[in-house]
Amino acid sequence: MKAFQKYWAIFQITLINSLAYPGELIGRSLMIIPFMWIFYQLWKVTYAASGSEVINGLSLSNVLWYLMLAETIELGRPPLARTISENVKDGSIAYLLNKPYDFLLYQFSTVMGETIFRAVMNAIFGSAVVWWLVGPPEHPEGFLVALPAILGAWILHFCVAVMIGLLAFVAEDVSAYMWIYQKLAFLFGGMLIPLDFYPGWLQTIARALPFASTTYGPARLFVTPTADLFISVMTIQIVWIVILTLLLTYAYQRGVAYLTVNGG
Amino acid sequence: MKEFKFLLAIWKANLLSAMEYRAAFLSQAIGMIVNDFMYFVIWIIFFDRFKDVRGWGINDMYLTYGVLASSFGLVSLLFGNAFNLSDIISKGRLDYYLSFPRPVLLHAVSSRMIASGMGDFTYGFISYALSGYFTWDGLARFILATLLAAAVFAAFLILIQSLAFWLGIVSNLSALALNAMLTFGIYPITLFDNYAKLILFTIIPAALMGAVPAEFIRTFTWQSLAELLAGAIIFLLIAIGVFRLGLKRYESGSAIQVEV
Repeated sequence: MKAFQKYWAIFQITLINSLAYPGELIGRSLMIIPFMWIFYQLWKVTYAASGSEVINGLSLSNVLWYLMLAETIELGRPPLARTISENVKDGSIAYLLNKPYDFLLYQFSTVMGETIFRAVMNAIFGSAVVWWLVGPPEHPEGFLVALPAILGAWILHFCVAVMIGLLAFVAEDVSAYMWIYQKLAFLFGGMLIPLDFYPGWLQTIARALPFASTTYGPARLFVTPTADLFISVMTIQIVWIVILTLLLTYAYQRGVAYLTVNGG
Repeated sequence: MKEFKFLLAIWKANLLSAMEYRAAFLSQAIGMIVNDFMYFVIWIIFFDRFKDVRGWGINDMYLTYGVLASSFGLVSLLFGNAFNLSDIISKGRLDYYLSFPRPVLLHAVSSRMIASGMGDFTYGFISYALSGYFTWDGLARFILATLLAAAVFAAFLILIQSLAFWLGIVSNLSALALNAMLTFGIYPITLFDNYAKLILFTIIPAALMGAVPAEFIRTFTWQSLAELLAGAIIFLLIAIGVFRLGLKRYESGSAIQVEV
């Protein structure tokens, strides 16, 4: 319980800190507006050309609300991999390792504190724009249903981002790995196009990878909140969280041993 | 001519500095090529499913994406500080450049090379080669279009970043403007109505970085060349004018700076 209070306090401090510059928070969140507007232009023309109001089970409204949540999840993430790689490269990680808290849990608490209000502001601005363009979501309750999946998506992303950051122990620069991961998440996570529009064989591959759980799962659950989909999304997320957490723990222990052996 | 020699010397120094960390330079360049290609795969999937957007097909996307990537990469390589000029202004780091007998703006923006720009620049040519529009005279137009689009892009960045002289920290506005420029530049221009197109030629000149250069590369027309030249010249003049106006308001900071 005491350990939990420690990380809860770190989370609260970071959460309050993220509100220290409300102008900066709002300014950053405005970025979702041009994205949603241009998505609307693209999909409005696409649906009109198809002559159909529903394509692969999704209406224009579904697609826009799907993309709104996908962008909210993506734009809300702080640059964790870069932060950790800079900590490793400049040696400041040594100051974090000798503190009376677990490095990984500390990073998780900090990231969640930074993410929450970013995501909330993105969701507010994104929802306002999409509501104005296509009207309200068909299933507003879908947001509550998708909340656990959104948290799961953040945990999955955290595991991957930290592993990429820890690559700084062995690589001069981790930017390339971060870009490639981000594009894999865009491609196989259905970030810009819902996976439902992909060819069948590519959908099968995408759904088996963890990227679909970071974006497609939560966003699809939001627009079509069914019990079956919820169970499916959460099951796959939990499986990948377990796998990636184990990988992350192993990578972290190897990294710390490497740091200790080389004198930091 | 003197300033051109000065630029060449700075670019050479930037390149030598970047190559000191060869592995990082190569990983960024190659990583960016892979990054650009993977992003483009999404468009391949989209056009495989939906064929075209009001006549705009995958080949047009290859071409537009190519010229945009190359012009973005060129600005990153040669004028890397154009992306964070507002930071330089608001933190008083212009002092360093003011102390030299060289044009302040030119010196400031050319003092940094972003290694990943090599990847973007290279990928643009690859994308053009894959577009189905490749011809040797088209390649010459691609190079010219890239130069002019890069001029528009660099001018736009300088213009937005120079607002720091009046507004202080403009990092969010700069990021928003940059994202808008790249996003609108990549998407098919056939999506937009006349009012939106007006914005894309003026306030956010994304059309001058994507669609118009692509049209020029596809087929030479005096109109598209005139649009590109006029856009580049006008935006450069406005950007330089705004920077000079802002520089008159600049106050030196007292921080000690080390520029390496």
